[in-house]
Parts: sequence; C-alpha cells; structure tokens
Amino acid sequence: MSGYTGRLRRDSGHSTLLVPILLGGVLIAYFGVPFVTFLLRTGHADVLAGLAEPGAQAAIRHSLLTATIATVVATGLGVPLAYVLARRSFAGKRLLEGLVVLPLVLPPVVAGAMILTAVGRFTPLGSTLAAVGVSPTQSLFGVVLAQTFVAAPFVVVTARAGFAAVDERLERASRSLGYTPLETFRYVALPLARGAVLAGVTLTFARAMGEFGATYMVASNPRTMPTYLWVEFIKGGLDSTVPVALALLAVTLLVLGVVQWFGRVPAVIDR
Amino acid sequence: MTLEVDGLTHRYGNEPALEDVSFEIDAGEVVGLLGPSGCGKTTTVQAIAGHVSPTEGQVRLRGRNVTTDPPETRDVGVVFQESTLFPHMTVGENVAYGLRPAGYGPDERAAIVDRYLELVSLSDQREAMPAALSGGQKRRAELARALAPQPEVLLLDEPLSALDRGLRDRLREEIARIQRETGVTTLYVTHDQETAMALADRLVVMNDGQVAGVGRPRELYESPPTPFVASFLGRSSQVPVTPPGDPGLTLAARALAGDGGDRPETDVTCLVRPDDVTLDENGGAGEAHALSGDVARAVDMGTHYEVRVELDAGGELAVETRAEPPQAGERVVARVDRDDLLLFGN
Repeated sequence: MSGYTGRLRRDSGHSTLLVPILLGGVLIAYFGVPFVTFLLRTGHADVLAGLAEPGAQAAIRHSLLTATIATVVATGLGVPLAYVLARRSFAGKRLLEGLVVLPLVLPPVVAGAMILTAVGRFTPLGSTLAAVGVSPTQSLFGVVLAQTFVAAPFVVVTARAGFAAVDERLERASRSLGYTPLETFRYVALPLARGAVLAGVTLTFARAMGEFGATYMVASNPRTMPTYLWVEFIKGGLDSTVPVALALLAVTLLVLGVVQWFGRVPAVIDR
Repeated sequence: MTLEVDGLTHRYGNEPALEDVSFEIDAGEVVGLLGPSGCGKTTTVQAIAGHVSPTEGQVRLRGRNVTTDPPETRDVGVVFQESTLFPHMTVGENVAYGLRPAGYGPDERAAIVDRYLELVSLSDQREAMPAALSGGQKRRAELARALAPQPEVLLLDEPLSALDRGLRDRLREEIARIQRETGVTTLYVTHDQETAMALADRLVVMNDGQVAGVGRPRELYESPPTPFVASFLGRSSQVPVTPPGDPGLTLAARALAGDGGDRPETDVTCLVRPDDVTLDENGGAGEAHALSGDVARAVDMGTHYEVRVELDAGGELAVETRAEPPQAGERVVARVDRDDLLLFGN
C-alpha cells in the first residue's frame, strides 16, 4: 500500500512534470530567442532619430487612434452578443457562432479582400459612403473597418466564455430580487465576467494594434505602425524597422499592463 | 388567499413535469411542498417565482394573476438549494441588493440591512465576502437577503439539503423562529418528511408531477389519502389482503368486515406503520387482528429495535419495538389495532 502511494507521489512530483517542462521549454526558448536577438539589434539603430521622423509619429498616432476606436466598437457590439451566445439557445446559433470565429481562421489578407468586395470604392455601399463624404478605403475609417473585422472575435469569444462561467442561478436570484434582465446583466453578469471581458478587450486591442494584412488591403494609406514598418523594411531593411517596432511593442505592453492592473486579470485563466 | 396555484401543468419539450397541480397558501401560513426527487417540486417553485412559464394553469398572488409576469415584478422571495449569494458583494451588500428596486433610500436600506442581519445573527459578518462564510452562515445570509424586501411569499427550495445533519436540525429551528418573527407566508420545498412535518402548518405531498395529498401533517400521517402518501410520510409495510375466509389473513379480513360488511371482491391495499404493531411470542394464528410469522432479523437501532417478520401469508412486516425483541427464527404473532390499519380501495 505505502509503496504504491509512494510511487504515485514520486510520479506526480517529478517524472510527470518532466515531459511538459521539456516540451514547453522548447516553445518558450523559441519565443524568447527572436525577442532577444531583435532587442540586440537596437544597438545598431538610432531609435530616437527613427521615432522623430514625422512619418513614424503619424503612424503611431494613427495606430493608437484606430485601434482604440476598433476596440471600443468591437466591445460595444461584441459583449452583448457574447452574453446572448452564452445564455440563449436558438435556431441557427451554430451558424452564428461559426460566423463569429470566421475572421479568426481567415488569413487577414483574405479578410481584407473580402472587406473590399463589400465596401470597395466601386461597390454600391462604398460609392454611397463616398457620396456622403466617408471613404471606406484608403482612410483611417478603412483602417478601423479592417481592424474591427479581424480583432472583434477575440472579445466576443473570450467574453462569451466568461459569461458562460457565471452561474445562471445568480441571475435568477437577481431577477427575483426585483431587477430586470438588463439590470441583472449590469450588476451581476458583467461584474462577475469582468476578468474575461477585460482579457478579451486587451486581446482585441493588441490584435488591432498589430493588424497588417487586412489593413494593407483596405487602407495602405494613411499608414499605421504595421504598414509603416513594412514600407520602412522595403526601403531600408531590418534595422530601419527597429524604432517603430519597439514603439509598437512598448505601446502594446503598456496597454496590456494598464488594463491588467485595473482589471486585476489573473495571468491567463480567470481563477 | 396569498398564493393560489391553479391547474399548473408543465412540459419540458415532450417530457411532462407537472400535471394539474393546484394548492393554496393563506397569509402567514407555512406550507411544506413535499415529495421525492424529480416529482416536480422545483418546477412548481420556478413557476411561482416566474423562472418557468407553465404550459397551462395559473399562479395568483393576492388574487392577481401573475402567470406571465416576469420574476422581478412578482414580489416573491426565493432561497435556492445551492448558494446564490453574489460573490462580488459583501454580505451587507447582498442583503441590501433587493431593497433598491423595492424603492428604499440609502438610509432606509442601511437600517433594514441592520435589522435583517440581526434577525439571522450575522451582524458581525456584514463586511465579509460570501466566500468567507460557513455553509450555515451562507444560508442565513440568503434568508436575510430574500426577506429584506418583505416579499409577499417566501419560497424555500430545499434550503437545507446540502448541509450535514446537525447543522440542518439547528437551522431548521432557526428558520421556524425567523418565520414566526416575520410572519412571512412561506412555501417550504423539501424531500425530507421530517423537516416538512416539523416546520409546516400544512403539507402538499407531490408524486410524479401530481398532488398526492394536502392536509395538516398529523392528519396526513394518520389518515393518508393514498398509499403513496402513507409510504412517503413515515414508514409502513404492506399487508397482503385476500378475500375473507382464509385463516392466515384474519387481520385484514376482520378489518374489512369492521369497515362496513363483507366486500370479498373489493381490491384493497392495507398498510401498517411499524410502531403500530405489537409482537407476541405466544398465541395462535387465527386470532383477531393478528398475523403470524417468523422473525427474519432483529436490529438494535439505539433508541429502538427494528424487527422484520416474514408473514405466513406472504410479505414482510416491519415492526418497531422498545422491548427486548424476539430472536431471528422465532415464531411470533403481530397485532395491530383496528384503528391503526391504513386501508385503501384501489
């Protein structure tokens, strides 16, 4: 008996952890090495001079603006949808869910092409918008369209998982205590799913900041940080990407940090 | 009448859950809704609270038909089987939660929270988070939260089932006290007949989605309307009944004869409570109101002995006795008072 439990304990203590440590270690190393080699490059490049370029500053402004708008839009439209998907069953729900994750599995360039077929300059929607003075391509509005399309699924999928984890009986209790469904969402479901919703918002923002493929298709101008980086890379090679790439990294990490701090989001999984 | 449930019928898809359930609760009354798991108790409660829309039938509160009203307009307090305290609010905030929609201002709310926390002896836990409470404290906090807005009806859905026995008994006393002090009209749902009999002024016994009996606990126990109620409220053994003339079954035969004449063709079910039987080691079969048999086993239950008698006429009779019991294998005669027989025409 004691030999058996002793063996069990030894197994769970060491050898069972050995395999994930080895396998995960390879992955972590693979994440880490390019990061370090890239940072080592900063010595060769004049970061401050690169960031002082008017083009770089415009790209940073554009990215911050468009990614923020895309995140707000995705959150405003996506969180209620996530709640409905977590709570209700209805005909065609699977189809709807498939549609929500479609942008996640679609190559961003294809997403961009699809957006162009819907709102491009010579489409009915695109020409109508252009007629009232809103250009859906080659504009910051176009950037927002591309970023929202590609990044919104993150907040929907993550928030949906968060709402699904909230015990439905708590919402029933709230209803029986006199609160309408909307108030119950506001006071019970949303606060309890806050961690997941904020995680989704963060992922969406990070994805929107980094969005390149669809953005380049829909609005290669005005430049965002990723499209500016691409142009710089073509013009001047790897070293010329370093300043804005560092800025992109810094801004994204800063926002992640701030949101996590205010939301107190546990590392990856909520509780 | 504070609450009337009238002809409630509900199906989940094609699965029938409730079949024509009707009962009423008077102001200040405690009614126990009693029945085995899956008999439709919880569906009934959900329909009263408004979390389930019944397929047919009506729920009326003070004469007002609320069947299609949403839960938030019903003025019905609910305590669920599992804890539903909001984990992101303190105990005090939980108790105050229902007071804002009820229209109380901040000062009134604070005073009411004080009063109800005191009522359930949780004044010291006001600032605690629910996760820090014990199982019993959670139940009391939920009771306070449900009572604070002063609902017309309080629904308690198996509030003690998840607790261990000692705590359950103590909380049962406490619920009885709180109910007396507040006078709130209460529907107490449980599968535990002991709890139901201890707390309720009246019982509604449910079986298989239907009402099997309604009445005062003592009445239902002593003269149950159906064999189901008899077997669910307390224990009983079924005694075989065959037409009179069979010497082994004089008990039932005589009982029937005493019940108003010779009805040999009537199909009858006869039940006997274990504590209504006395055992006698002497005396022959054929005696009035007596059944003979062999003792199958006798078990010491601490407060009494539990004896199982294998009847000559077939079947087994459970007997509760405080006297030294006969040994397994001994011949015995079991006697039952005529008035204690529970007879049901099928």
